[in-house]
Amino acid sequence: MTPEPAPATHNNQARSAVQTGVSWLALQWRGWAASEGERLIFVAKCMAAAFTALWLAFRLGLDSPNTAMTTTFILALPSSGMVLEKAFYRLLGTVVGCSAALLFVALFPQQAPLLFIALALWAGICTCGAAMYRNQQSYSFVLAGYTACMIGIPSLDHPTAVFNLAVTRLTEVGLGIIVASVVHDVLFPRHANRQVMVTVQARYQRFIAFCSEVMEQRLAPAEVELNHLRFAADIAALESGRAAAFFEAAHSRAHTRQLHAFNNAFMTALTTFYTLHRLTHRLHAATASPVVTLIEPLHAMLAAALRAELSAGVPAPDWQRLQTDLASGIAAARTALGAVERPVQIDFDTAVELLERFARDMAAFVALYHGLAQQRKMQVSDPVAYHPKTPPGLVLASGVRAACALLLGAAIWYWLDWPYLGTALVMTAVFSALASSSPKPLAMITGVLIGFCLGAPLAFITEYWWVIRANDYPMLVLAALPIFALGCYLTSDPKRAGIGVGVTLFAAQVVAPLNLMHYDGEAFLSNELALIAGVALAFVIFSVILPEHTMGQKDHVASALWREALGAAKAPLFRLKHRFDNRVRDLLSQLNAAAGPAPSAEARAVVRQGLTLLELGHSVIEMRQLIDVSAPSPARTALALCVQQLAAYFRAPDQRHGAAVLSAVLDAGPPVRAALAGEQDAARKLRLQTALTDLHSIYTSLLDQMPAAPLGESDHAS
Amino acid sequence: MPREIAIFGVLLPAILPLFLASLLIQGALDWVLGLAGVYRRVWHPALVRLCLLVCIFAALIGAYYQ
Repeated sequence: MTPEPAPATHNNQARSAVQTGVSWLALQWRGWAASEGERLIFVAKCMAAAFTALWLAFRLGLDSPNTAMTTTFILALPSSGMVLEKAFYRLLGTVVGCSAALLFVALFPQQAPLLFIALALWAGICTCGAAMYRNQQSYSFVLAGYTACMIGIPSLDHPTAVFNLAVTRLTEVGLGIIVASVVHDVLFPRHANRQVMVTVQARYQRFIAFCSEVMEQRLAPAEVELNHLRFAADIAALESGRAAAFFEAAHSRAHTRQLHAFNNAFMTALTTFYTLHRLTHRLHAATASPVVTLIEPLHAMLAAALRAELSAGVPAPDWQRLQTDLASGIAAARTALGAVERPVQIDFDTAVELLERFARDMAAFVALYHGLAQQRKMQVSDPVAYHPKTPPGLVLASGVRAACALLLGAAIWYWLDWPYLGTALVMTAVFSALASSSPKPLAMITGVLIGFCLGAPLAFITEYWWVIRANDYPMLVLAALPIFALGCYLTSDPKRAGIGVGVTLFAAQVVAPLNLMHYDGEAFLSNELALIAGVALAFVIFSVILPEHTMGQKDHVASALWREALGAAKAPLFRLKHRFDNRVRDLLSQLNAAAGPAPSAEARAVVRQGLTLLELGHSVIEMRQLIDVSAPSPARTALALCVQQLAAYFRAPDQRHGAAVLSAVLDAGPPVRAALAGEQDAARKLRLQTALTDLHSIYTSLLDQMPAAPLGESDHAS
Repeated sequence: MPREIAIFGVLLPAILPLFLASLLIQGALDWVLGLAGVYRRVWHPALVRLCLLVCIFAALIGAYYQ
């Protein structure tokens, strides 16, 4: 065992063998505790929550204790923040859904067609709402939709019972929520707050490593795009983690503001870096320009600072000093450049302006990171929340699909006249709503369907071999434990989570004991069959009705990106930049979720398009901000014309509009430069300089877009 | 003191509004304690929060039914 050879005594050998053994055991134990141990604790927490809720529901004499139990399974999520968040939104959705059901049943008592149309409309609207939001907010909409169906459909024949049904449902969901929140928050909690900090740190390291790799030209353009896609997904993930952590005790509002600011600073730095990278790439690709050699040491300076920021031994770089160093380096380079022809001068000016901007953005980003990491309280100016964006076609499609599912199910129910199909209908409504906010709805429904099919025989065995023999509560727990524990164990494995959810939900629906148990084999089997049929119907609906309209579908994302760019040129300016940034990244993150780890060539093309539009949109917004504050002048008119032409281009991206933008940009150059020369105010000078850079980057990215542009590079000299 | 209150003819336990009130009070207290950074100094913040809620709820019930 021990590598030490002969000279060591026998005693020493034995001791070191024991030490190796102990350390091996400790390693194994730690590995087990981090993987299987966590999962077993999770299962234990779920079981504690479920059976406590069931017991309380029995004790309080509620009508259908299984709803309380089901709620605890639905809330079984890995971190306590996520549980609390989902609990809150579940309560909200249930209240809204119950009220809607009461309203509909009161409006159309015993009028099945009208009631179904109303319910279908309601479910459709709620599912549309769900598609527009992310995470648990979206769940709240889904829930409001299907809770109305859950209450409305059973009370079709007995409208007077609807109030009781609604109150029972609300009470039981409330009980489940309280129990699940307490159990998951208090027993061995896993804090979302800590996970958010881990994400923040990982993001910071990856971004800085990415920047220094790109600056040293070690990444191919395709990899750069992939990285941008991943970062967009990261931004959305951090936002959802933050939303969960918000509900935890250890999370303060100041922290929320800092996280928002961190995400925003990251997006700004990322966009600037993309523009900088693209420009550098172009410069390198062009014929030997003096700019490249002059810029090289400045890039090296930044890259060295980035490396020092990451490595532990070296003292962290002072970003304030780096900016002054960079400014003096730029001044030296400018004198070295001397008087050159116009295009070279413009290239140089743009390159250094972008470098300075990137150093500024990076300084802000790093400062925010250190503030977060050291838990310092920082005054964050104007932190704005994240804005999600879903392509409207997809929003509409998911609503239409949910409504169709319900109407179709109702038609089948009416036609077959099988009483248990009511249950099936509820299941169809639930899963067609739930799956519509998933990027791969069919995969999700398949997982649940497998879980249901797996759960059916197990539930039968549990019910008729074990539960039937239980004559008190501990025995009941013992009888029902295996199937639920199996389901929860599967849920804790990300790959089999769908199956696990299927097993637990199925078992909770059919096994869950009532206050007055009655064992009816036929009813039990019919119920099982109806549940499976309901999910199967949802599967059919998703594969038949608008199968291409799923979240993150690349064509929809691409057209939504163009519309966002148009919005950047048209929409009111207030917080526009922030909103635009968020929405474009959100669209990209949806694309990432749908495309998976290896996106196709078309998906990559959409990413490239999105990044270009992001850059163009930023330039347009900056120009519009400048136009907004300046007095009428030739420069202002020229810039306004540029914005107008760009808007036309975003509306119809073709050669003609592209050429119009290019000529408008070229015409805007001289008046802006003249205004810059005559300007005294330093702040305004900076803005004019920024506008020039924007014009240049619009020009170059449009040239990249249209390889056969009618205007040559030489015209740029004007 | 009534044990149950009637809302549209449905009898609800009177402690339900008390519970909602204690949730509100707890939310306000939570905000203050979070601002003061108390939760970062305790071993189990969630447990502290739960205990506070129980105390507030119990105090409200005690005050109502005394």
